[in-house]
Amino acid sequence: MSIFEGLRFKTISSPIHRIDPRAKFIYVCVLFAIAVLFSQLIPLLILFFSQMPLIIIAKLKREWLRLMRGSMFFAAIIFIANMVSLYFYGGTQSLAAVVEHSLAMTTRFLILVESFSIFFATTSPDMLSLSLEQIGVPYEFCFAFTTAIRFVPVLAEEAQTIMDAQKARGLELERGNFIKRVKNYIPILIPLIVSAIRRSMELAEAMESRAWGASKKRTSLYSLKMKTKDYIFIVASIIVLLVSIYVRFFISIPSVTELMHLG
Amino acid sequence: MAVIEARNLTYSYPFADKPAIEDINLAIERGEFVLLTGPSGCGKTTLCRCFNGLIPHFYGGKLEGEVWVAGLKTDEHPIHELAKHVGLVFQNPENQLFALTVEKDVAFGLENLGLPRDEIRRRVDWALKVTGIYDLKDRAPFELSGGQQQRVAIASILAMQPEIMVLDEPTSFLDPLSARSILETIYQLNRELGITIILIEHRLDLAARYADRIIVMDRGHIILDGEPRKIFLDDRIKLVGVGLPKVVRLYLALRDDNVNLKRVPLSPEEASRLIAEVLNSDRS
Repeated sequence: MSIFEGLRFKTISSPIHRIDPRAKFIYVCVLFAIAVLFSQLIPLLILFFSQMPLIIIAKLKREWLRLMRGSMFFAAIIFIANMVSLYFYGGTQSLAAVVEHSLAMTTRFLILVESFSIFFATTSPDMLSLSLEQIGVPYEFCFAFTTAIRFVPVLAEEAQTIMDAQKARGLELERGNFIKRVKNYIPILIPLIVSAIRRSMELAEAMESRAWGASKKRTSLYSLKMKTKDYIFIVASIIVLLVSIYVRFFISIPSVTELMHLG
Repeated sequence: MAVIEARNLTYSYPFADKPAIEDINLAIERGEFVLLTGPSGCGKTTLCRCFNGLIPHFYGGKLEGEVWVAGLKTDEHPIHELAKHVGLVFQNPENQLFALTVEKDVAFGLENLGLPRDEIRRRVDWALKVTGIYDLKDRAPFELSGGQQQRVAIASILAMQPEIMVLDEPTSFLDPLSARSILETIYQLNRELGITIILIEHRLDLAARYADRIIVMDRGHIILDGEPRKIFLDDRIKLVGVGLPKVVRLYLALRDDNVNLKRVPLSPEEASRLIAEVLNSDRS
């Protein structure tokens, strides 16, 4: 699952990992806003590649490559969908303009994926839930969130065990037409769901035994404090956003097609 | 007064047609190391759930009789209040760890109690050191081995500083070597910190040597309760199908051949010492 690889948090330390999750979240929102603001290829490409230094500082090059490879399928769908709709229903545009616009939309998608990955791959889910808590999200939701993440590898392993067990008893997963194949997965899903329910009961027992809900004012081992560098990061993000808005509305950006014609 | 006391305790789970435990009378003194054993489905786990209020608060069902823990009547106090006095460690370490770092997990109960941050920090570090996993504090629980995970589970209970610790087959997911070292740690908690231990365990070979007292259950009843060396000599224990420790079987085999060891050994070390004594006395 190369896509998820790029989104999964790994405990490594880098300046990006140490930035406050809230500051990073604002940064991601700014990236989103800019990506939606522009629809031409050149600014979107600039935006896309401007993330490279961050990715390198965060030591995410390999994950980034994997993520890009994993996103290719969706990127291709977006590209083709845009091509088709613009070519047939887009009026009198030239083919070059249609290609450029479709590429721009694809780049926009990749920017969204990329910034998501920077956020999730460098923010520990613990810290994320803590920042949600400090914003005022009820602890139950934050807890459900971290627990869900915590149990992904456990359930994945369990699914594998069940699959092996069922295969050993003669279940063939890769056989038959589409509907048959979907049906093949029923003997895997049922034990998986049953054991997940049983697991959740045990989990609830363990939570109760550790004084869940004892105090209305729950405290926390860690606390998040915004430091100067976090504020600098936020201010920088907002300046970038303001500059982009200015560029978008007061400077005309040439398209690649126009540039080629001039040259 | 005993730290745990059950009087005429009978309990049935919801929708069950017969009680899971019946007419239990039991008193456990402060500082005791009690080993609770018996065949699967005999009600050991159910009994332990009564000690920290999971029964009746979490499970519902029908509870008759009384359970007193640390001076509190369990059906009148919520689980989180009892949790300060009784800690429960479960079989599967995987399903009792929630957080993404070890230290956060150990802090979980303390956070729930709403303790101030420096107090949490102090207790977490202490519990991690006592259980010997301080070096793992920043790791993710699911990356650890089963034995290490079970240590995290014990540390997280220990951090709440309960007087009583109930461990429900804490070694059943572990290999013999890590099982032994976990039991060694539990024993240390009992001796050095004076925590009352109730240990459910099938592996009597490993666990018998630590116990002050063994309770054997069968079909919802307590059938034997007493000092390990006496319990093992009682014929009823064989009828229940509890596997006697090998050293006890050795003792019995020797006795059948008219070799009488001074007492029933509970560990191989003790057995070899007793046999050496017999051999020496024969020579002289």
